[in-house]
This record gives sequence, C-alpha cells and structure tokens, in this order.
Amino acid sequence: MSSRRSRQSTSGVSRISDDQIIELVSKLRQLLPEIRDRPSNTVSASKVLQETCNYIRSLHTKVDDLSERLSQLLATIDADSEQAAIVRSLIM
Amino acid sequence: MRPPSLLKQEFLKKWIMGLQRCSSTKKNMNILERKKAIKLSADVAMASSRNGTTCWSRALIANASKDGNDKHLVEQILGPESERLIVKKVSIGALVCNKRIRSKKILKRSCGIRRTRKCVPQVALASSIAKWLVRKRTQVLKSLIPGGEFMNEVCLIKETLDYIISLRAQVDVMRSLASASEQVNHS
Repeated sequence: MSSRRSRQSTSGVSRISDDQIIELVSKLRQLLPEIRDRPSNTVSASKVLQETCNYIRSLHTKVDDLSERLSQLLATIDADSEQAAIVRSLIM
Repeated sequence: MRPPSLLKQEFLKKWIMGLQRCSSTKKNMNILERKKAIKLSADVAMASSRNGTTCWSRALIANASKDGNDKHLVEQILGPESERLIVKKVSIGALVCNKRIRSKKILKRSCGIRRTRKCVPQVALASSIAKWLVRKRTQVLKSLIPGGEFMNEVCLIKETLDYIISLRAQVDVMRSLASASEQVNHS
C-alpha cells in the first residue's frame, strides 16, 4: 500500500532491523511444540503462523476445560469433609 | 524474561485472591456462573501480572470491562489495582503500540523463503499463494491475540510471544490446582 510508505517517512520512529525480526520469529518457533525441532529453512512463514494459531487455540480450549473441571469439582465436593473445607476456602 | 516459576506464583496469588473476592460478594453461584468467574479471574489475573506493560494485557482487561455486569466482576477481581489497570474512555487502538514497519516481506524473509529472480508463471503463482497464506494467517492470529487487530506485524509477534508464555503458565497452574483438588476430594 503506497499510503504506508508516505506515513513511514513522517512518523520518525526507528526502523526494525531484519535481524530483530528473525530473532523474534525464531523465539516464536522455539515455543511451538510442532515445529521447534525442524531447521529454520524448511519452515515457511505461513506454517509458523498456522502453528502459532493452532497452539493458541489449543491453550484457550485447555483453559476453558480446566475452568469447567474446577467448577464441577466444587459442585460435587463432599460438603462435610475437612479436606473439602480446605479446598473450598482456597478456591472459593 | 522472568523465570516461569515466578510468573506462575504471581498468577496463582492473584487468581486465588480474585476468586475469593468474587465469592465473598456472590454466594451460591450455579455451575455456569462459577465457571465463568473462575475463567474470568484466571484471565484477569494473567493480564494483571503484566502490570500494564504489554498491549494484550491492557486489551484483555479493557475487553473484559466492556460489559456492564462483567466490569463489576473485573473490578472485584482486581481490587485496589482496578483504578490503575482499567483504562476508561480510551479506544483500544490507542492502547496498542504505534511503531510503523516496512512491509510483510520482512516476516517472510526471516523464515527463509527463497526469492525468485525470474517471473516464471508457476513460480509467480506459488509465491502469490504464499503471500496470500501469510496475509490470511496473520489475520487469524490478530483475531486470537487480545487487541491484535490494532497491531502491526512486529508488535504482533512480540505480543504473541508474551501471550503464549502467559497462557502456558496459566494452564499449568490451573491444571495443578485441579489435580490437587481432585486428589483431596478422593482421599
């Protein structure tokens, strides 16, 4: 987009070097379980992005499932036991 | 970067405090309400442990506070820090970093995609498909990161890194608490 170029000259912000970007992307790849072991020249940008999105979605699902598990746990916990009192006071 | 154990400890502390504040104001929640409170306080605790230093954490708290009912809950969870962390009357776009960068080509270059010198039809098609894929997947990533739709590429990658680390800490702590509670329950 040509408008972006003209904006860049007036913004006065320092440019990001290619090396910085490469470093950021390699850090990102280290976090992704599917592709961290593959050498960098075999993984495309779109693959990195795809794996990142899949990983974030799976983490969101895990948080949701764990919230549900904890909520059900509190509903079914035996109200009389001492341990239950400990858990109750800890969580809610 | 802080060690993960410190991050987890801080998250756990804030989460538990938030949960206790929630339950003290509203007794007898049903399962769905409780699940929502658990999830919301986990997300808000995760975001507040960043102390307003990252875009996603500010955007997460801002989004959570949009709805009237939820806003009250968020203020409960954050407690005394809510004044500082809930940004009022500011558009989320303004919260996000404003650095301008050249183009999406930089992202592709860093992943070792070879550039073609000659514009052979099949190769041109392959490279335009690659560009389209990167553009499409960047859009998806922006929709997953809180506040992502306002970020440029570099900001997006930095925020993604921090967000993934925080999410992992959140999942680990929640899982440990769930297993511990289940063991207590069965014994």
